[in-house]
Amino acid sequence: MRLHAGICGSFPRPQALRKAFDDLSEGKISDGEFKNVLRECILEVARLQEKAGMTILTSGLLSWHDLFRPFTMGLDGLEAGRLIRFFDNNFYYRCPTITGRILWRGPVTVDEVQEVRRNTRELVKAIIPGPYTFLKLSENRFYASEDQLLDDLIEALRAEVNSLRGSADLIQVDEPSLVDPELGRSERLKGIEVVNEFLSRLGMPENEVIIATYFNLDPERYAMLLDLRAGLHVDLRSTPAEADLALKEHGFDGQILSLGVIDSRSIYPEDPREIVYRVRAYLDSISPDVLIFSTSSWLDYIPYNEAVRRLDALGRVLAEAEVRFL
Amino acid sequence: MSCKLPDKLRTTVVGSYPYFPEALKAFQLRRRGDRGPEYEALVREATKKAIMDYLDAGIDILADGEQRREDMAVFFAEELDGFEISEPVRIFDNVYFRKPVIAGRIGWRREILVEDWKYASSISAGKPVKVTITGPYTMYSWSFDKFYGSMRNAILDLAESFRKEIEALVRAGATFIQIDEPALSTRAEKMDVLIAGEAFEIMFKGLSNVKRITHICYGKLERLFPEILDFPIDQYDFETKNRNYELLSLLREYSFDKELALGVIDVHSSRIEPVEEIMEGIARGLELLPPEKLYIKPDCGLKRLKREVALEKLRNMVEAARRAREMLA
Repeated sequence: MRLHAGICGSFPRPQALRKAFDDLSEGKISDGEFKNVLRECILEVARLQEKAGMTILTSGLLSWHDLFRPFTMGLDGLEAGRLIRFFDNNFYYRCPTITGRILWRGPVTVDEVQEVRRNTRELVKAIIPGPYTFLKLSENRFYASEDQLLDDLIEALRAEVNSLRGSADLIQVDEPSLVDPELGRSERLKGIEVVNEFLSRLGMPENEVIIATYFNLDPERYAMLLDLRAGLHVDLRSTPAEADLALKEHGFDGQILSLGVIDSRSIYPEDPREIVYRVRAYLDSISPDVLIFSTSSWLDYIPYNEAVRRLDALGRVLAEAEVRFL
Repeated sequence: MSCKLPDKLRTTVVGSYPYFPEALKAFQLRRRGDRGPEYEALVREATKKAIMDYLDAGIDILADGEQRREDMAVFFAEELDGFEISEPVRIFDNVYFRKPVIAGRIGWRREILVEDWKYASSISAGKPVKVTITGPYTMYSWSFDKFYGSMRNAILDLAESFRKEIEALVRAGATFIQIDEPALSTRAEKMDVLIAGEAFEIMFKGLSNVKRITHICYGKLERLFPEILDFPIDQYDFETKNRNYELLSLLREYSFDKELALGVIDVHSSRIEPVEEIMEGIARGLELLPPEKLYIKPDCGLKRLKREVALEKLRNMVEAARRAREMLA
């Protein structure tokens, strides 16, 4: 079993980037000046990840306003709509509003991933929203048929993944709706079908794609996730007792398992040794080729300085696990 | 001086009112750590204007408009022991706020709201002024905890602190105390509801001659039932207009017979509800409860509306309640 560490998705924006966003919207700086700040901040966050011992890096998704926005703005047929609470967080996304046929017109996220690729020897992970969560959290004002909507959405996301393949070693597909407790079992089963259809159209090896869920894991929902033909990221911190039971009851025999062991929504101090001790208890029931230690979800829910501490704790989890597990 | 209130369909507000320029200037001073005479004068002027608008609209039970509070959680965090304020955290797009951090044992340091309540009451033309407090569950949910590691322990310490504040308010003469718990309906696992119930016991148990109120809004209110009905609360203040009064069916299911503050104004829309539309909402409430137990108010605080819109909405609300009373008579 190979061990890795990497954050689940985003990292909080550095102060310079927050200011650059404001300056851009007020016309105080040009697009070019903004892009320079963005590039510097991506490198800053990549260096932070390397320094903390991450072996899988992300761009920090620093330009993303929410999970969907780059795609709402970058694909044809979509607009950014009203603000909606993102699950149970004090964080809001703009509802993707479908107003025309969804079409991929060019790379949406490739630049930021390439920026990291050019500056690290570690593995690089790209993130995209998954088709099922995109469907559930958007508003359709165009398609008469949901099947047609899904077909176009999957095709657009597939094209984006294709454009990322030269730059990213791993593709993470975010699908928090697959474990949304507000959805019934039949809806979640449909979600699994949709994601598997997407995976089959991608045609990528199972060890290059991770389906990421977060916030609401329990044994029943976890058992359904095991039908996905890809690696898996699960949040062990939002519902810790249920998640613990899920892993112990159902195990994992796929190729890549990413465990969200660091709570990305809290700043309560983490104890890396205790985390490793807890994960060790799963080793009888899980046997992935690659085990990734990760944050439970995106790090946007905490301030920048606290995210740096979380990153450091994650690095110490990996170091401790390498001693204890290998 | 006291003012005789109608005995049926009394009108009230949830708490906040659009910020006056004086309040915005006071926030700037506060952020710089300046809470001197100029700051106090600005807050008083803004409070006076909010009270005057509530009186102008004809509201029966007022609030101070929360002109001192830039944020409902940060304000109390700055006044209690045990809290720090974090670096910025994103809420949406590129908009950030500084979230409270629980960094030590939470405790009551000094009176927080008493002077504001006394001032508001002195200019309220004899009408009662309701005090609003951000509840323990919401304070905890909207803070980071790096001290307790236990939601229950932190919430109970918050409740003990607010009990001291409530006792100070009651000693000063306050008779309407409202605990705002908007976070309770966003998550609300059963365990959370039970912990919130323990907190209400601490804050409200044994208080006499006080109307004990809770305001909860925008979430899965249905998840709070039936446990919430056992809380020591006299009046439940809910957002109902925004969800087309669907909550009333649930209340009927549980044979709800306490006082209900019925939301009849959508605070997220600048559309002015016509009097007749508000009267229809009141009629829905009257299908559940007698008019003596029904209070008429907006769904939530008004601070996100423009002042002119808020005032016009309130005027129509008061007129609707007046006409409904006439019809009942």
